[in-house]
Formats: sequence, C-alpha cells, structure tokens
Amino acid sequence: MTAISLRGVGKSYALYDHTLDRIKEIVTGHPRHRTRVALHPIDLEIGRGEVVGLIGRNGAGKSTLLKLVAGTLTPSSGEIRVDGQVSALLELGTGFHHDLTGRENVYLGGAVRGLSVREIDRLYPGIVEFAGLAEFMEQPVKTFSSGMLVRLAFALATCIEPDILIIDEALSVGDAAFAHKSFERIMGFKNDGKTILFCSHSMYQVEAICNRVIWLHEGAVRMVGEPAAVIAAYNAYLDSLNGGAGQAPAEVAAPAPEPAAVALEPGRPARLLDVQVSAGPHSGRSLEIVSHQSDLKIRIRFVSDPAIPCPRLAVTISGPDGRIISSTGNWVDGLEIRRDSAGQAEVTVCFPRLALLKGQYWLNVYLLSHEGIFPFDQAELVAELQVRQQTLEQGIVSLPRTWSQAPLPA
Amino acid sequence: MLGQNRLQRIACHLWAGFKEPLRLLVTQRSLLAVLIRRDMQVRTSGTVLGGIWMLAQPALQVLALWFLLDFVLRVRFPGQVAFVDYFLLGMLPWLMVSEIISRSLSVLSEFGELYQRSVFPVRVLPLLPILFSGLVYGVVYTLIAGLLTGPAGALGAALLVLALLLWLMPLAYLMAVLGLFVRDLRQIAPFALTMILYLTPIMYMPDMLPEGLRAFLVLNPFADWMALIHAVLQDMAWSSGNLWRPLLLWLLLLASAWKLFLRSEPHIREEL
Repeated sequence: MTAISLRGVGKSYALYDHTLDRIKEIVTGHPRHRTRVALHPIDLEIGRGEVVGLIGRNGAGKSTLLKLVAGTLTPSSGEIRVDGQVSALLELGTGFHHDLTGRENVYLGGAVRGLSVREIDRLYPGIVEFAGLAEFMEQPVKTFSSGMLVRLAFALATCIEPDILIIDEALSVGDAAFAHKSFERIMGFKNDGKTILFCSHSMYQVEAICNRVIWLHEGAVRMVGEPAAVIAAYNAYLDSLNGGAGQAPAEVAAPAPEPAAVALEPGRPARLLDVQVSAGPHSGRSLEIVSHQSDLKIRIRFVSDPAIPCPRLAVTISGPDGRIISSTGNWVDGLEIRRDSAGQAEVTVCFPRLALLKGQYWLNVYLLSHEGIFPFDQAELVAELQVRQQTLEQGIVSLPRTWSQAPLPA
Repeated sequence: MLGQNRLQRIACHLWAGFKEPLRLLVTQRSLLAVLIRRDMQVRTSGTVLGGIWMLAQPALQVLALWFLLDFVLRVRFPGQVAFVDYFLLGMLPWLMVSEIISRSLSVLSEFGELYQRSVFPVRVLPLLPILFSGLVYGVVYTLIAGLLTGPAGALGAALLVLALLLWLMPLAYLMAVLGLFVRDLRQIAPFALTMILYLTPIMYMPDMLPEGLRAFLVLNPFADWMALIHAVLQDMAWSSGNLWRPLLLWLLLLASAWKLFLRSEPHIREEL
C-alpha cells in the first residue's frame, strides 16, 4: 500500500527582476522569470508504515521535498499523491498566529486540520498536557520562547494521530526532556504503523529510526536504500569533501567532575557528571597508548531522573577524520546498569590491551535514552589517544587471528 | 463548435467562481469561525466595552457624518425624502463595501505567517473580510433599516446585504491577489475609495449631481447599488440599467477572479 507517491516531482523557484513581473505573468500566462532549481524531478514511492529519513547537506532540497509532500509548496512539475491525513512539523513556530494566545492557536491549528470545535475541545487537554504549557496557554504566542513554540507545535501536530507525519529537524530545539518525550511519541507512531518522513542531521537517529534513507544532493536523489548503506556512503562523501583525511577535532572536551550529590536541572532527564580516562597508571585527556599493551579504562559517572528507565551508555573511538572506528554500549556487552536512589551510577568500561595500531584517536561518550536512540548528554572528544606500536603491522586495528601451517611432507 | 466550446468553458469558470467560494464557506466553517473570533478579539482587546465596539464603531462613524451634513452643513433634499433616512441607508452599505475592499487588499499579507510555511487553505482568506464586515454591518444595517422603515424594511435590508456580499465575493478574490502582488494599490486605496464615495450618490441624490458628472454614475457600479438599495427600502425610482450593469460586472469578475486566484496560489506562498 503506497502512502506517498511522487512522479516526476520537481520544484523551481521563480526569480523576478521587477516587482510587477509576477502579476504580469499570472495574468498573461507568459513566463517573465528566471528559475532556480531547488529539486530536480524525482520519482518516489513510500509505503504505508514506512519510516523514511532524508539526509543531505544544507541546500540539498530536503526541506523543499518535505514541503511539497506536506502541500505547503506547489510542485513546478510532476504529480504528488498522498493517501491519508498528513500532519507536518516543518519549521519552528510556523503555523501560529503570533497575536493569538496559545489556546486560540490550538483551535486555529485544529480548524486548519479540519477538526470541529467539539473535536478540538476533546483534544485540547491532551495537547496542553503533552506540551507542558498549561500556565501559558492564555498568553499570546509572541511571548513564547522558541522551546515553548516547538513544544506546542509538536503537541498539536501529533495530537490528531495523523496517518503521515512529516518532521523537519524540529526536535533539535527544546529541552532534552521534551525532545525525549517527542521522540518516544514518534517511536509510538512508528510502532503503530504510521508513515513517517523524517529529516535530520543526526545520522545516528536516522539510522536507528528509519527503514529507508534517501540521500539528496544538489536537488537530486543521490542514493536510496538501507539506512546503514546510505549513511556510510554519505559519510564517505563528507570525508571526501575534507580531502579524504577529514578535519582533526579542534580540542578535547570533557565534563568537569562534579560533587557526589547533584540535582538535575528542570527539563533534563539525565546528564553525565564525570568521565575519567586512563591508560595503565596514567590518566588525563591526552594519553599515550602502547598498542597491544596498554589497558584503556573509561570511568563514567552520570545522574538521571530515578523515575525514568535507566539510561544507556555508549562509547565510540574515532579516527582523525571523525569516522567511528569502534563503538560499544553497555547493552551490547550485556551490562545492566543499576542506579542508586538518587538516580546516580558509576560505570567503567575497559579495553584490555588496546588493539588499535599507531595513530591518533579520540574517545566519545554518550548517555542515551533507555531505547539507546535519543542522546540525553554527550562528552565528545573526551580524550585524545596517541597510539604507538612496536611492530610493523599496518592499518588502524589489529584483528584477532590465528595462523597455522600445513604439515610438511615427511 | 469552437464558439460552443468557448461558451462551455466560460460557463464552467462562472460556475466554479460561484460554487467554490460557497463550498469553502461550508467546508471551512470551523476555521472561518476561529478567524472571525480572532478578528473581533484583536479589534476590541483591552477595551472596557469589548464586543459592543463592533457595532458601536460603524454607528458612531455614521453619527459623525450625519452631524456634519444635517446639523452643520444643513443639507436638505427636495421632496418628501428625509435626508437622514437616505443618508443612513446609503452610507452603511458603503462603509461595509469600503472596509471589505480595503481589508481584501491586505488579507493575504496579514496571514502570511500562517500559510507560507505550514499547511493552510489560502483560498479561505478572501472570504474573511466579507464575512467579518458582513456580520458587523449586516446587523447594524438591519436594525437601522428596521427602525427607519419598519419590519419589511429590515427584511429587505438583510437581503440587500446578503446580495451585496455575494456580489463582492469575486471582487474580494481579485483585490486579494492584486493587493499582494501590486502593493501600490494598498497605498492608493484610501484615496480611490474616498473618490468613489464622492462619486456615489450617498450624501446627495443622483439628480443633485451636475449634468456633466452624471455620466460617471453609469460607470460606477456602486451608484447602481445605491439606486437599488433606495428603490427597495425607500421606494425610489430605479432603472433596469441599475440591475444589469452590476450583474454584468459580477459575471465578468466571477469568471475571471477565481481563475486568477487559482493561478496565483503557488505564487502567493512564495511572494512574502
């Protein structure tokens, strides 16, 4: 069953040299403009229940494609068929009238979506509760912060249980607690078999959520397919832009150690308190490692809201080009983290006799939601590893292996 | 055959121009109700009398002009027609027309933040000035006509307002598009509307206009409307020209304005 079908759909923006050229063109039907192509004609079928991610650099045409499917833009060519009710979260704060109060905007948004006043009356408490804005709903939305706007917009867009949900980077704004809540709602939609069209710069999230990924490049589809394959190709492309070697990270960062008893800020479900990295007797942010000899230990302390499921921890080791060489998580290795009554825990992960070969590497630590998708907190470039080796092995990692020889003839 | 096809096409455009806005009135009634409520709140927010101002404002406007013309300038009409009756029954519909045209010119810009980057039925917006002003002036006009001419006059006034709103519908769509793409029109509109007011027999009777200027009455559809209004409510003289001229103009606009709006729709979202 196809939910979204695009046949030869393209979009060009018209550029007019004179103010009156546009109306002259509308009246006479004769073109009087130059064009800038935003999206070359594409064919695309998205099945019901599919979660499709759009990736690409800025200006690749991702937002244009989302707007075309949502119906806020008219295609310059081709035909779009959308089967089902669409709800779109396209840009921060859009779709709101800034002079109206939060309540009035909910009713306006509901009416735009074709809901009757009675239906909106029924949905209103749920929207306000999800957005967490009960005390602000009688104030004009022009007084809302960007975080409040996105909370209201998301709650409104998802309250009506659309068949097709379109989200354009909207979750990057707002506090972590709401972002996590929104994320869980999206995952709920996915589990309910809704169709989701999702655009994000977070490759991790795209890979974790999507069934299929579309890589757009300069207004055209560069690649469509399995998330892992498309994202790998996209990352390779990004690497190639950096001359093949990528850019060395600018500086090493780590959370400053904090006292044992700490409180979480409102709206933050979890955060890292301390990350300590050591190799043998040495610890610090820049460590010398001897390949196959040094034990690399990462001690991580975090605090989380005891009311939420226990977060997960992940560690990645990346090379100078930013590409991840190895990663692991507590759930991958079978460790179930236990927290104290304040929601704190301390976990150590050890890489015995680190098998990286000579070179420069960086460590990154992530505190993730219990599904292992949404990042509550992260400490990127937490330590720099200078690996030296005493053998002539080539490459970046020494893989476990065994050699054997066939018996010699007698 | 070719002529028949063309006639069929024109008939289709006419029917679409008539039917589609009315269909929107029904299908988007919830949205329009929210927008009208919003308009009323914006206009009366922070005032002590609140919604009463919606009716009091046009009444006070008329009162001020009546004071000027009747008490200061002492304008008197020949014959049996009372100036105040004639003036009130003509001025209120004109204020409604004038407000609808002015608002139509800016309605698309006003709501740009709603439709440009979110899913919003732009086509309902030109209906907003018609509904809002129609509601406000319709009530005031029916009440005043009832007071001046009796219950039959109130019914006649209500029907006249309805007919006038229907007549203004294609004009509102046309003005909405022109106001967005030819913004100079918004600058010149107050002057143009004042000139049309002076050239429309509202503060004077058609016969009082100098001979040389009477030709303008034929070119001015609002002069025809005034003749029809006074004919219905005050039993004054009218001609068939007063009926067919606005009707012809309406049919012309009905066929073209809706089509022009549809053609403009993709541009509207990209214009602001």
